[in-house]
Amino acid sequence: MKEQYNMTAHFSETDLALFVSGDLSLWRGAVVRFHAAHCERCRHLTQEFRADRERLRRVASELPASLDWDRLAAEMTANIHLGLSAGECVAPRRRKSPALSWRPAAIMAGAALMLAAGWWLNMPPSTTKALGRALTAVIHGPSGVADDRGMVVSANDKGIELRENGTSLGISQGSAPPLSVSVSVQGSASARYIDTETGQVTITSVSYAQ
Amino acid sequence: MRNSVLFFALAAGLCAQALSRKVDLPADSPVTLVSDDWGDTGATARGGAFFVDVHASLALRNTSQRHVHGITLSVSSQEVTPGGKGSVSVPSLDAGPGDVFSVRIDLRLLHPTGTGAAVAVKLDGVLFDDLSFYGPDALHSRRTMTVWELEARRDRVYFKKLLETAGRDGLQKEVIASIARQADRTQPGVQMVRGRATNADPEHDLAFAFLQIPESPVEPTSGLAKISGNEAHMPRFEVRNRGDRPVRYLEIGWIVKDQQGREFLAASMPADVSVAPGRAGQVLEDAALRFSTPVESMSAFVSTVGFADGSYWIPTRATLNDARIRKIISPSPEEQRLTQIYLKKGLPGLIEELKKY
Repeated sequence: MKEQYNMTAHFSETDLALFVSGDLSLWRGAVVRFHAAHCERCRHLTQEFRADRERLRRVASELPASLDWDRLAAEMTANIHLGLSAGECVAPRRRKSPALSWRPAAIMAGAALMLAAGWWLNMPPSTTKALGRALTAVIHGPSGVADDRGMVVSANDKGIELRENGTSLGISQGSAPPLSVSVSVQGSASARYIDTETGQVTITSVSYAQ
Repeated sequence: MRNSVLFFALAAGLCAQALSRKVDLPADSPVTLVSDDWGDTGATARGGAFFVDVHASLALRNTSQRHVHGITLSVSSQEVTPGGKGSVSVPSLDAGPGDVFSVRIDLRLLHPTGTGAAVAVKLDGVLFDDLSFYGPDALHSRRTMTVWELEARRDRVYFKKLLETAGRDGLQKEVIASIARQADRTQPGVQMVRGRATNADPEHDLAFAFLQIPESPVEPTSGLAKISGNEAHMPRFEVRNRGDRPVRYLEIGWIVKDQQGREFLAASMPADVSVAPGRAGQVLEDAALRFSTPVESMSAFVSTVGFADGSYWIPTRATLNDARIRKIISPSPEEQRLTQIYLKKGLPGLIEELKKY
């Protein structure tokens, strides 16, 4: 409920006491100050509260001459130990963990799955690899040789491949490893395969210069 | 549960796309399609494109009156962008008139989304026993298949002569040595990029050494490439035509020795040139090769020369018998076919095969 302030009504003694001790909020304190400046009763009460606080402070500052500080410290320590021992007699309070329903977890998992599937179906693999390379470069620092940038013809014992920005564009994929591979600097690669039954040699080529 | 099954079935349906397939041979083609088996050929949607996996076996009939000694087919999922096209060649064929032979295709190609996934197989060229050629030759298959055919003739002659001079034991010994060399050959990974790849390392020039092939009609006189870390780029050669015929085509073998001591044929460097007899010419390529380890040294040799009259020169068998060259250069497709016949049918099978020619 919204708090209402009536400038003509008197404030309670509690509010006035809190105002004197400086424990009211800034806004409410300003309202009380304004009201007390124009209200005889409230101004009187606030002056009385101030006087009471002053007396209390004076009394509190005058310590008994027989006060034994060491004994007081020992009593306080004993009280603390007593409190701890009493606390151990009580069963430990179970911390109430926030109830996690399976529904939010399932929704989050589903959203993550859809995000991954959407990325996989729509984003070019080159983008995914470029992102991976960028993250790797951020974590490990840039490498000396910039691999897989632009169009690359690749050949090794396993076969030949045409790649662009890390994405395979064309590849020879015989059931067995090739007999041999070759690369042409004009932008093509060839792999030789052999049919072990007939001895027929088949040469597969990929190129970006065709 | 039923909804889950339907969801996954729908997802699988979205990923695996229907694929249109066709074999397109010209009306006057010297080969006709007898049957086609597309096996598990299919297209898979991935990242805004289709991966078209082609696993096909075609049976073709030679409808001409000559023996077919080689064929090249282009396999395309789309014509324009890179990755949509590959090719399959079968060298060392001997399909007589009316004979049926098979061509196996195993390729992965890329096809952009927006149009239905498709794969088309077209004829690029047929090479006959008299070295005549039929086809559009869009992939320069005439040149490639002619060189393979010349290598096949050279190697068959070599093995037949060996049989005559050294007998069955001599032939067997040579074939076993060839099998051992093929098994020992290693091919360290090589990547080729057009232009210079980005590399932060400083670069320096490295000169090529040349394998001496006395009978070669073209002599390389100097060569350089720029070396930067694991990369060699901008190869450049000066050559001289020491024959008596104009040279129109040249292929140089680029050999690399890495810091692990491995020496291998890194790439071939084909070039269309025009070098008159006795004159010098230059071959250069704006390309870079990347290796797994830094380059220690480089050497090169002329592997093919094409003349203005359409004929070709290839190294002789005597040149290839040099220990260093034998270790580096891959045997011809015909030598690989003959050694496979030996492995499958033994020495009698190999001798029977050699007697066919």
